[in-house]
Amino acid sequence: MRMILYDGPSEKRANFHPLSLSRPIWELRCGMTTLAEKLIAKIGATDVACFVEAYMADSYRAKTQMKVNDPAILAGDDLLIVNGRVKAAGFGVTPTGSSEVGVTDDGEVLYARIAAADLAKLKTGGIEELLASAKAALPTVTPELATWNYTWDLVLANPEQLTEDFKVAGRSGIEGKVEQPNAIRGSDKDVFIGSGAVIHPMVVIDAENGPVYLDEDVEVHPFTRIEGPCYVGRKSILLGAKCREGNSIGPVCRIGGEVEESIIQGYSNKYHDGFLGHAYVGEWVNLGALTTNSDLKNDYSDVSVMLDGRRPIDTGSTKVGSLIGDHTKTAIGTLLNTGSYVGAMALIMPTGKPLPKFIPSFAWFLDGVVTKGFGRKKLYETAAIAMGRRKCEWTEVEKNMWEKIFEMTAPGRDEAIRRGRRRMSRS
Amino acid sequence: MPTVEQRVKEVTARVLKLNPEDIKIEHDFMSDLGAESVQSIELMAMFEEEFGIEMDEDAALSVETIGGAIEFITMVCKEQGVDV
Repeated sequence: MRMILYDGPSEKRANFHPLSLSRPIWELRCGMTTLAEKLIAKIGATDVACFVEAYMADSYRAKTQMKVNDPAILAGDDLLIVNGRVKAAGFGVTPTGSSEVGVTDDGEVLYARIAAADLAKLKTGGIEELLASAKAALPTVTPELATWNYTWDLVLANPEQLTEDFKVAGRSGIEGKVEQPNAIRGSDKDVFIGSGAVIHPMVVIDAENGPVYLDEDVEVHPFTRIEGPCYVGRKSILLGAKCREGNSIGPVCRIGGEVEESIIQGYSNKYHDGFLGHAYVGEWVNLGALTTNSDLKNDYSDVSVMLDGRRPIDTGSTKVGSLIGDHTKTAIGTLLNTGSYVGAMALIMPTGKPLPKFIPSFAWFLDGVVTKGFGRKKLYETAAIAMGRRKCEWTEVEKNMWEKIFEMTAPGRDEAIRRGRRRMSRS
Repeated sequence: MPTVEQRVKEVTARVLKLNPEDIKIEHDFMSDLGAESVQSIELMAMFEEEFGIEMDEDAALSVETIGGAIEFITMVCKEQGVDV
């Protein structure tokens, strides 16, 4: 049996922007692992391939061991095609069996189990073609499967998922070095400190209300307090951070200040003081000193988020912070409004007040308005420097993907630039 | 109709809060007129609005003087079929 991850239709993927602009949805984190890792573990697959949007295929191919967008993988074996938005926990479809397509009421394929013998009667030129022909030719069911629908679903589910993932990982104990004096509250069974990790003196690890998993080569500087549930990825450094409950911090991050119930994808910096709560931060982000996001409105009403810059979406939650795309940088003292959408490759200067709730990708937000700034070439130069500092390479392939993202995100940005110019002309 | 030179000076004066009569063709935006980097971006945006053109950021931001801006904008207007 070959498992194939399928990165849902574009309109559903857009609900995960700006994070999904540069990666398939299944690369997003919730708890200790990515959505893909959870699905693969749940299904128990060893042969896994995937189909992503064409514009990101080359970039993703360089980051994964899976075969990407190769039509040849659609033949020669039983297939279990799974939409990356499906929640692994409730996925009870047996990997092999008679052919069957799970389709939602609005026609979206959540999974397709296709016996090798049935492939001959289907079109296998590409994933969309295969799913369309499977829907038409094979038995369909309307499954009771839960899906991730928005980025904030991941943030809100994170504390519970961390606890679940810690149980699944089944590891506890101290393999790294813990320098004294130190304090571990709660049960030792709820703490794992990976090999190569170094915990400096005067650190509090509080596992009283949830487990704490510090991965390999994590470094925790003095006066950091880590409340569980919490996961910190390999080679990340906590710098005197007030790490409140429910955080997932990916690999190679530098984290200081106060962080609560947030997910940081990896390779991002929030070195200094400032509050980040109920946020999802992409890769290669730098949050300048005192950057702070609101995650709760003063009237305790539900937070809304504008994913397209026009229509607010009610999140149904009173706690939602910021969604911040890859490679975005904020300057010192930036204040982000409750439920802010900050696109990818954006550069933000503060105004002294909370910023607008929608800042498009590739925006240079200066003096309170969205501008073209110094253009994307300068942003790419900065991205190359930032990646080089962590021994990663900004490649032509990456640039090509971002050029496509620049085109895709042009409408919202152009509109914001026009509004900005009207404001500039009036002032 | 005002000339390109007059329009460039008007926009520059408005953005940098200067008197248009004090702006000379040989003036450097930064060293003579005191433009900071953020204002360069605002100047570029306002020139685009004033002339109805789209400028390449790198080329536009490499222009240093009022005279250079007049020459550059005249060239872009010609390329983009904008009468000036």
